[in-house]
Amino acid sequence: MDQILGVLQFAVDGLSQRQQVVADNLANTDTPGFTAQQVNFESSLQQALASPDGGQATVTVTASPDAPGSDGNNVDTGAQLIDAEQTTLQYQTMVEMLNAQYRLIQGAAGGSFQ
Amino acid sequence: MSLFGALNISGSGIDAAQTWIDTTAGNIANANDVTTTSSDAYQEQTPVFVPAASLPDGTGAGVAVAGVQLGSVAGLVESDPQSVLADAQGLVRVPDVSISHELVNLVQAQNDYQANTAALERAKTAYQAALTLGS
Repeated sequence: MDQILGVLQFAVDGLSQRQQVVADNLANTDTPGFTAQQVNFESSLQQALASPDGGQATVTVTASPDAPGSDGNNVDTGAQLIDAEQTTLQYQTMVEMLNAQYRLIQGAAGGSFQ
Repeated sequence: MSLFGALNISGSGIDAAQTWIDTTAGNIANANDVTTTSSDAYQEQTPVFVPAASLPDGTGAGVAVAGVQLGSVAGLVESDPQSVLADAQGLVRVPDVSISHELVNLVQAQNDYQANTAALERAKTAYQAALTLGS
C-alpha cells in the first residue's frame, strides 16, 4: 500500500513538472533561439520498480533534440498542445487513483468504503 | 516550483502575444502615414521575445518582452506632388511597413495567444483535480 501511494505521488509530481515545462515551451513558440525542454520520469520509475532492492526514481528535464527552424527555435506547437492535453488527463487519472487509495485506507481504518 | 506555476508561465505567453498583437495593430494603423522628406518616417515596431529568467530548479519561467525593435527611420521616399506635404521635387516620406508582413505576424500572434490559452485551460483542469485529493 505504501509503495502504491509513493508511486502515485511521484507520478503526480513528474506530471506537474511536465505541465509547467510544456507551458514554458508554448510561451516561447516565437522566441528566437529557444530550445524546447522535455520532462521524463517514466523510464526512471520503471527502472526503480524493477530493481529488487528498490531504486530511487528521479524526474529529469532535458533539451529537446528536435531540429530548430530558421530562427533557431525548435518548439513544435502542435506536439506541445497534445502533450498539454495528455498530461492533464494523466494527472487527473493519478489523482483519481490516489483518491481511491485514500478511500481504501479510510475504510480499513474503520470509516466507510464509499 | 511555485504552486500553480504553469498558470503564471502561460500568463507570460499570453502577455507576450498581446504585446505582439498591439504593436502589429499600431504598424497597420500607421502604414499609410505620410510625412515631409525632412522629417522621420513612422518606424515599424517589433517586440523582441526572450526566455524569462529560469526558476531555481532550472525549468523555464515563461517568456518576456525584452524591448521593441524599431524599423527604418528613413522609410521610403515616394513621389506624390499632389500632397500638401510634398517638397519642391514633389516627394514625400512614407513608412517602410509591409501590410502583408504585418498580417502574417498578426495570424502568428493570434495562434500564440490561443496556444497559451489552451495550455492555461489544461493546467487549470489538472490543478482543480488536485484540489479534490482526500475529499
